[in-house]
Amino acid sequence: MRKTTLSVAAVAAVTLLATACSGGTEPAETETSEPAATEAAPEATGNLVIWVDENRQPAVEAAAESFTAETGVEIETVVKNFEDIRADFLAQVPTGEGPDLTIGAHDWLGSFIVNGVVDTVDLGGREGEFEDVAVEAMTYDGQLYGLPYALESVGLVRNTELAPDPVPETFDEMIAQGRDAGTDLPFVINTGGADGDGYAYYAFQTSFGAPVFTQEDDGSYTTEIGMGGDEGYAFAEWLGENGQAGEGVFSTDWTPDIAEQEFADGNAPYTVAGPWSIAMFTDAGIDVAVEPIPSAGGETAAPFVGVQGFYLSARSENKLVATQFLTNYMATPEAMQALYDADPRLPAFAETAEAVAEDPVVAGFLAAAQNGAPMPSIPEMGDVWEHWNAAEAAIIAGDAEPQEAWDKMLADLDATLTN
Amino acid sequence: MTRTEGAAGTVSPHRPDASRMTARRRRWWLEVGWKYPLAALVVFYAAFPLAYVLSASLAPSGTLTGSTQLFREISGQNFAALGDTRFWQWAANSLVIGVSVVVGAVLMGAAAAYAFSRFRFTGRRLSLTSLLIVQMFPQMLAFIAIFLLLVTLGDAVPILGLNSKIALICVYLGGALGSNTFLMYGFFNTIPRELDEAAKIDGATHAQTYWTIILRLVTPILAVVALLTFVATFGDFILARVVLTSEQNWTLAVGMYGWVSDQLNANWGLFAAGAVLASLPILALFLFLQKYIVGGLTAGSVKG
Amino acid sequence: MSIDNAVVRESHARAWEGTGWGFAVKLVLMAAVNAVGLYIAWSAWDVEQWGVLIGSLALVAVADVVYFSRRRLAGKYILPGLVFLLVFQVFTMAYTVYVATTNYGTGHNSTQEQAVDALLIQNERPVEGAPTYPLTIVEGEEGPGFAVVSETGQVLVGTAEDPLTPADGATVEGDRVTSVPGHDVVGLPALLADPALQEDVLELRVPVSEDADDGSYRTREGTRATVYASSLDWDPEAQTMTDAVTGTVYAASDDGEFVAEDGSSLPVGWRVGVGFENFTKAFTDTNYSGPFWKITAWTFAFAFLTVATSFLLGLAIALLFNDRRIRGRTVMRTLFILPYAFPAFLSALLWRGMLNSNPDYGIVNSLFFFGQRIEWLTDPTLAKLAILGVNLWLTFPYFFLVCTGALQSLPTDIEEAARIDGASRWRQFRAIQLPLLLISTTPLLIASFAFNFNNFVIIYMLTGGGPRFTDTSAPLGHTDILITMIYQISGVQGGSADYGLASALSIIVFVVVGLVSALAFRRTRKHEEVL
Repeated sequence: MRKTTLSVAAVAAVTLLATACSGGTEPAETETSEPAATEAAPEATGNLVIWVDENRQPAVEAAAESFTAETGVEIETVVKNFEDIRADFLAQVPTGEGPDLTIGAHDWLGSFIVNGVVDTVDLGGREGEFEDVAVEAMTYDGQLYGLPYALESVGLVRNTELAPDPVPETFDEMIAQGRDAGTDLPFVINTGGADGDGYAYYAFQTSFGAPVFTQEDDGSYTTEIGMGGDEGYAFAEWLGENGQAGEGVFSTDWTPDIAEQEFADGNAPYTVAGPWSIAMFTDAGIDVAVEPIPSAGGETAAPFVGVQGFYLSARSENKLVATQFLTNYMATPEAMQALYDADPRLPAFAETAEAVAEDPVVAGFLAAAQNGAPMPSIPEMGDVWEHWNAAEAAIIAGDAEPQEAWDKMLADLDATLTN
Repeated sequence: MTRTEGAAGTVSPHRPDASRMTARRRRWWLEVGWKYPLAALVVFYAAFPLAYVLSASLAPSGTLTGSTQLFREISGQNFAALGDTRFWQWAANSLVIGVSVVVGAVLMGAAAAYAFSRFRFTGRRLSLTSLLIVQMFPQMLAFIAIFLLLVTLGDAVPILGLNSKIALICVYLGGALGSNTFLMYGFFNTIPRELDEAAKIDGATHAQTYWTIILRLVTPILAVVALLTFVATFGDFILARVVLTSEQNWTLAVGMYGWVSDQLNANWGLFAAGAVLASLPILALFLFLQKYIVGGLTAGSVKG
Repeated sequence: MSIDNAVVRESHARAWEGTGWGFAVKLVLMAAVNAVGLYIAWSAWDVEQWGVLIGSLALVAVADVVYFSRRRLAGKYILPGLVFLLVFQVFTMAYTVYVATTNYGTGHNSTQEQAVDALLIQNERPVEGAPTYPLTIVEGEEGPGFAVVSETGQVLVGTAEDPLTPADGATVEGDRVTSVPGHDVVGLPALLADPALQEDVLELRVPVSEDADDGSYRTREGTRATVYASSLDWDPEAQTMTDAVTGTVYAASDDGEFVAEDGSSLPVGWRVGVGFENFTKAFTDTNYSGPFWKITAWTFAFAFLTVATSFLLGLAIALLFNDRRIRGRTVMRTLFILPYAFPAFLSALLWRGMLNSNPDYGIVNSLFFFGQRIEWLTDPTLAKLAILGVNLWLTFPYFFLVCTGALQSLPTDIEEAARIDGASRWRQFRAIQLPLLLISTTPLLIASFAFNFNNFVIIYMLTGGGPRFTDTSAPLGHTDILITMIYQISGVQGGSADYGLASALSIIVFVVVGLVSALAFRRTRKHEEVL
């Protein structure tokens, strides 16, 4: 208290002085003339701080309201860019300035763990109420970190006017049908431009049996690269055959922008896209259907599944309250439905998922996601993207022999990961 | 006074009027006229990439560069949608911060440039070189360092801590000396030193010389610095998003960057509409400052 | 008539007042500075921030000395800016130097204490198959305890010392215990309102039995109790972690990790000083030594060419349109600076789209190159050209502005004299305007060079450094500059950042650029008398 009174007095004095010399000449001092406006709220213990992105803020606030009404604990939501949260959480939690809870993607988990910034979450045996893949993704070394709430994965999106029949079983049949549709392109997919995009092509890669890291029986990833061997080469050759030097089915000219626009303009009957693109397609007047991605190499085409959830800070001073909020106020059908309504992503909460699966598009993406595997959350994954994307781009563009490029990628990854 | 008058004088008097007119016109084209098509060319060069931004801002849905067919659909939807966001609040924050930093940076930079230009003190050259070199430091860790600094400062003085616009202004002013002193130093050197000496002989103090003589003569560069500082502050989102943690304190750059930072989920229409509106204050400021930039000397005491 | 005459004549007319109101203003301002400084020092004392305390006192003292002394004229003008520079920029540099001597980065993010906490958190797991009970918190003489309702409806009470035992005379409502003799029942709202109690409750472990290996009941949210067992034991005396299952002993090492004898280590480490190790690593890593020189050369070329081209273009436009006979100059000039009014990252993304090699998508190829397919972003040479071209577009308005301003401060009488002497326009420009212009803009050219040297945004957004080098396994490319190289190889981009290495590299790059620029600066000074 003493501190507050003192600061108010001093601020008043300074303000007086500053206004007394209005038209003052030295900039350094006149800047302090309006301090009261920005003074941060005093930190009251028992208040929860949650980092959330703009889209999901309303839903979290809604859950927070009922929590505050019932428990008297105030919740402050701090809106941040989703992309910034990982770095900021890592940097700020150790200083004690970080939030109690934050929204985040499951593939950040590995770096959160080795940096010691997250705490475990105990759902008290309610894991079964969530989609398996979601719980699996937020689990690390047998412990659950964070409350999963949404899934996302790419699926095969079809223009029902150009391609009225359901997507065939195999990639080749799909391309054949695509050519029959008579559009400029039989198929379009985000290739990330010249940078490449292993994420969009991943389902095709797994259909050759070449996952990015090998998996244990329980689905968790080892740090061993799984893209080598004949399966990997087969995929690389396939990319080359369909690339710009071959059939021309794929092109590195396609950035996310272009791929979306081509499909929205009706220039291709099929595309691989995520739920985030659907609004743009329907706004452009395209009727879409979503199905699992067809296999190119014979095995099931398993896209990456991304899971989003709420993490609990290891340095939170309100862990009990935060956990109470997570397990009893967020892990409820109402809150999960509200999150879905605020930002329609595939719900990780099974009951909500069933409820929204009446929408055929959502059902399609859910089916695609159920084929999929979580994106690896081990820290090593961060080093893979760059080499992996570049190799695929070089092969698709026809700049490199598929096998050579693939071998170089494997060697580069080996060098990077052992470093 | 002007060259056209001089040129008219050289034309032979016995030429018929018509040919004189043609000669004049030819001369006009040679000296002035060709600059209009050139201006059109420069404007095209400067503006045509921005047609994409304008097109995206007017399209009801869509991508930034997904298509080469511009202006396929026109609608004010995105601009209207800005009203549902905190756009205007952010714009107000940006203006407050931008104007404060401009005032502070111009005053501090000019003062330092004056000192470097007029006083000979020990360590002057070294300081100047250091100022130059400090700017080259790669600010890779700025986001962590500034954060830690503000956490510490904010512990003692909350208004200098995180999430304070004043703290952000101070952070920006930290860079003011480095960039602006150099900008102004050269111009101060072009003002003849005899002016100061004359004023000194008349009994003016160094402060009086500075405020009443020198500053008036360097108005053009003060205006240039003001504009450059405003643009830099207005567009920064790296430091601003570290410092300003709550949404209502964000600047335009931070808030709008958030709309497109997720490449897959980017809302280019909204962003483009925001960018078009956000460029207006900068252009307006330049329009306003031009009379000081261009008219600075001629309108001042010199022609008197 | 020359300018100085004009102003001098005018100044004669002005009556210079002595130290009248100027001194008063100064006094008031200094009072304010002292007040603010002392207030900051006082608050810093209050919260025991000694660095802030010393810093603010020192700055106030320096300000008083400088402004109340008759000498130190230059100091009076430089100090305000210098203070901000010292506090904010120099601090960043000092912090970078500090980080360069540590192993700060992924896995070494914080202090040892926090690492220990995190490891203990991660290794305390729910025991499989153990029951979960609805829980009520009770407070007794020995502090808080757990009261649970068993499967049979019986109330069990336990504390940190005593395992759960049946409590006689307890009442139950649903699955909540409402009263226990000898204990106060704490309801959920009361618990949520009491942070101190929450901490005690979270730390409370009620043993399942006398045998510690059976684990202990623990609650995470205050309404359920589950059996947890810890698989790591922390011994603060010996600074060791012992795996309760395998018996492996992990000892704290100098590298900021817990390491076992067989070399395996626990995942969470902490930040320690490593001296010059990062610098050694930066110099000896052979992976980067090849591309390093290519990248350095391109960085210098990029920065130099950007400044040269955009200065020339900006200057040319400024000169041509600094012409009173042109109508609509004001509007024209405003349109010229359009590229400057939009955020640079947006422009870089725009150009990236426009430079798409497929003429169906890339407007540059379709509009200016007859629909040819030109690989602007994937051919090493063309990518460099594209970067220079885009940066020219982004930067020329800056030099146009600066040169327009600079032209105004040129004395017009010299120009007129030259014109009367019949000098050609080109000669006038070469002999009179250009040298004067260079005096005022040379420091700026060097500053712009420095800025572009570290121009991360344009490279990162336009090409991302690509096309990649094919002869190294480092993720680097033909258009990478030193700053993007640091970003790539220190892993800041991926999940495993090594801030220590990044800082060491930053410092090395800084020393190189600083030396080169300082030398260049010295040379220009000799030739042009710039300083």
